Amino acid sequence: MIGTAERTKRQKGWLAAYCAAALVVAFFLLPIVFLVSVSFKSPDEALSGHFLPSRPTLDNWRNTFQIIPLGQYLFNSLTVAVFSGLLTVALAFPATYAMVRLKIGGRFLPAFTLATYVAPPVVALIPLFLLLRRVGLLNTLTGLVVVNGLGNLPVAFWLLSGFIRRLPIEIDEAAWLDGAGHMTVVWRIIAPMMAPGLAATALICGILAFDEFLLASSFSNDPSTRTLPVAIALFQGERLVNFGQMAVASITGIIPVYLIALFAQRWLVGGLTVGGVK
Amino acid sequence: MADNAVVDDVIRDPPRALISGSRPVIWLLVAPLVIGLAIFAVYPFIDILALSFSKSSLGRPFQKWPLLTNYLSLARDETFRATLIRTALFAIPVPLIETALGFAIALLLHMHLRGAGWIRGLVLLPLMTPPMMVATAWKLILAPSGGLLDGVLLRSGAIGQPISFLGTMPWAFLSVAIADIWQWTPFVAILSYAALQGMPEDIVEAARVDGASPSRILWHITLPMLAPTLLAILLLRVVIAFKLFDLVYGLTFGGPGFDTTVAAFQVWRTALTQFDIGLGAAQTIVFAILVSVVILPLTWLHRFSEARAG
Repeated sequence: MIGTAERTKRQKGWLAAYCAAALVVAFFLLPIVFLVSVSFKSPDEALSGHFLPSRPTLDNWRNTFQIIPLGQYLFNSLTVAVFSGLLTVALAFPATYAMVRLKIGGRFLPAFTLATYVAPPVVALIPLFLLLRRVGLLNTLTGLVVVNGLGNLPVAFWLLSGFIRRLPIEIDEAAWLDGAGHMTVVWRIIAPMMAPGLAATALICGILAFDEFLLASSFSNDPSTRTLPVAIALFQGERLVNFGQMAVASITGIIPVYLIALFAQRWLVGGLTVGGVK
Repeated sequence: MADNAVVDDVIRDPPRALISGSRPVIWLLVAPLVIGLAIFAVYPFIDILALSFSKSSLGRPFQKWPLLTNYLSLARDETFRATLIRTALFAIPVPLIETALGFAIALLLHMHLRGAGWIRGLVLLPLMTPPMMVATAWKLILAPSGGLLDGVLLRSGAIGQPISFLGTMPWAFLSVAIADIWQWTPFVAILSYAALQGMPEDIVEAARVDGASPSRILWHITLPMLAPTLLAILLLRVVIAFKLFDLVYGLTFGGPGFDTTVAAFQVWRTALTQFDIGLGAAQTIVFAILVSVVILPLTWLHRFSEARAG
């Protein structure tokens, strides 16, 4: 029983919603699409300011890998991401379980863990630089793995506590009654049950490490341990900056995370939202 | 995130069964995290506090103990004061804009438009893009020679001369803000969309049956119910916005002059390019105080809104 006026009003509403959605899509796609477009432009055309290349070329894609060791940097970045992601989860998971289920540390430890996240990483910059130098881990991938692995602990705690709270406590209780020790419960019973949660947490922490720039640029100055974001920042700083090659280098660094986004979207969104903000 | 609500959630329900196992084993569970935090958070804080009272260079830390010299020179330093103000002027308004935009996008996704699932996937991408690559992508758009924006404006005749968006004010500051909005609005959208989906349907349905208009439902039901969530997201965003470094480094390198230099960038510059880590440490401490001064009232506001929402 909707009147004509009402119906046109509603149709106008839908039209506005679709226009808004189109704007949102355009805004979020624009930089990525333009980045890809520039990667196919010749040096002259890259300076023209047109959206699309009029004569697309693969030169940038051939040259860039020869000018800078992108493969090496990609390997470095992935190594840091994978191992620091695993390290973070390995350290944070048993502790989060103990805090959530066994109330170890009372109110203080969870609050303190989260509070450390508020401090900007630049606070740790100078002390960690001196510490890494003292133990000989400056300019090493091990150093970056450790620094990122520890730095993401509060994030992992936040995500994992959401996943653990979702599991019915009856499972733990049954295991306790059977006389299982805490280590057994954590690694043999709980861990397999929340494998997707552990994977999502490791993925998110790994991506954070992959994306990290400030600490990576300060703690590794050597080409053999340089990560992609650092390499791209240095590449930008060079005098003869070639937009096409810069685009190729950036896309190379973006592809791994977009592949993860493509294949693990559910896990990622689940991981981001499970901690629950309210 | 760093908030009592989360802590409450974490430790709300005490275990019903008798907890077996010996005490040392239990502490072994938390030991790795505690040691990790000690290395990454506690030790740096103590070290930076000590450094801030010392004369230290990167090569030779702790040369002398002039105690307050670093702080006194900061107190006289107009540039540093301006940097702190600038940092706050970024870290509060920009997250506010992102929260509003992100929530609007979440509402849009919640309308079940055709292709909404596709947009949800797309929205994840900016969030995952490494910030240094975000800076590169926006630099290509905003560069004075060959930049897309200047190209379009010049061809359309809107401007006669290319504008140096990254080299003049206020454009440089706005450029960093736009890149940040591009990167972080999706974060708000994803979290607030999840919150929208978690809302009980029946209340909204009842209001609709009673003839409430969509805008009335939004202002009088949805927003009040989600206020604590949105405040928590805003709080988290402000925390992260204070960490801003990569986009400044990649887009403007703090310029023109010091006009886009935020606190994290200033500390980095003092410590790792001028090698004065005593002064850098003092800057860090003052910066940390600024962060606390902004964050604490926000957590109180959040707790208040939560108490009101029940």
